[in-house]
Amino acid sequence: MVQETRDTRSAVLAAACTLLDEVPFDDISYRVLGDTVGVAERTVFRHFPTRAHLLTGVAQRIDTLEMPFAPFRTAAEFRASTRQRFLAFDTAPRKAGVLARSAAVSPVSAPEPDFLTHAVVAVVEHELPGANRRDLRRAAGALRTFAAPLFWAHARTSLGMDGAAAADVLDVVTERVLAALRPAGEHAQSSSSSSSSSSSLPSWPLP
Amino acid sequence: MSTPAGAAAATELTPVLTRTQLAVLTAYVALIEELGTDDVPFRLIARRSGVAERTVYRTYPTRTQLLVATAAWVEATAFAREATESVFDVPLTVRETMRAYSERPELAHVAAETPLRAVSDAAAGDEALPAETTHVPRLVREELGTADDERQRHLTAALTHLDSPATWVVLRQELQMEPRDIADAAAWAAEVVLRPSPREGGER
Repeated sequence: MVQETRDTRSAVLAAACTLLDEVPFDDISYRVLGDTVGVAERTVFRHFPTRAHLLTGVAQRIDTLEMPFAPFRTAAEFRASTRQRFLAFDTAPRKAGVLARSAAVSPVSAPEPDFLTHAVVAVVEHELPGANRRDLRRAAGALRTFAAPLFWAHARTSLGMDGAAAADVLDVVTERVLAALRPAGEHAQSSSSSSSSSSSLPSWPLP
Repeated sequence: MSTPAGAAAATELTPVLTRTQLAVLTAYVALIEELGTDDVPFRLIARRSGVAERTVYRTYPTRTQLLVATAAWVEATAFAREATESVFDVPLTVRETMRAYSERPELAHVAAETPLRAVSDAAAGDEALPAETTHVPRLVREELGTADDERQRHLTAALTHLDSPATWVVLRQELQMEPRDIADAAAWAAEVVLRPSPREGGER
């Protein structure tokens, strides 16, 4: 029974993701989802009591399965990974829009930092050894907000920028944030790497 | 019906509303803060605002239109930015904006999410496009007109994003920051973004 419940839930989410290729999220009805999966509309409601629950579920699926970020350890890898992702967002704006919206809505359950946040915190600690906790948090916050699907969406809707231009802004912000917290005279080990995208990420030895 | 309601803290960015629109938006804002955004029925909005349900629908035919109007209105009133003289004051305004969002989190979520409906919903048309809520783009044009176009674009994008509910949401939910730290982190980032880079020595 537990297995069946989980299968229904993921089948509904898969169906919703497929429908997103054709219609906006707000036009996906519970009835059509039920029909597609072969369960009653009521069953869909049991899994997703409100549209915010559905939005969150669909976003989690896109985030982990359909448009995940490439893992990174250094600032250069972080920038390349985010650029790649922003370019992918341009090719599937509805899915990226769902990611952004789900991050913006009042959370349906107690929010926890996602994988991207953990990875950004690790990058900041890696790039700024010896920085105090307050500065590390500030830096992680700045990098995380510009790597967010929310920033890609803001750049697109209010400024008419594409994913590449949004990634350029992330590059500049990352460079400045890290430079601001590095001891004077110390040169960035990775901020001078190319800002154009590379499909294969450079691999840096872990410290 | 067409009397402009200038009662709300008026700035040049405040939308001009009819009495009906003002009544509906005021009621909806109160209901959002009590019940959350999800599924506040139009019937309840009508009852609270003292306007016939039919009139609510005539004023805002869809929930998206209602939300877009609500988001624009709260950004211009509850979250109004003080007019800044200089782009270099933006870090200070960002700090205030973040504090205001923290005080009314449900409304901040509405302000963060609503403009995104335009991304996924082309059918919503121009009305779903967010109104300009800050003076940042103008200030960047006026004060940094000598910087190259690219730097101007980057600055505008970075500062408007830092001055937005999107950044508030990320700092609150992903970094799990307290209101004070959210204000501090966003203002700090704005300051860093405004610093001239070593490469452009001439600029202030």
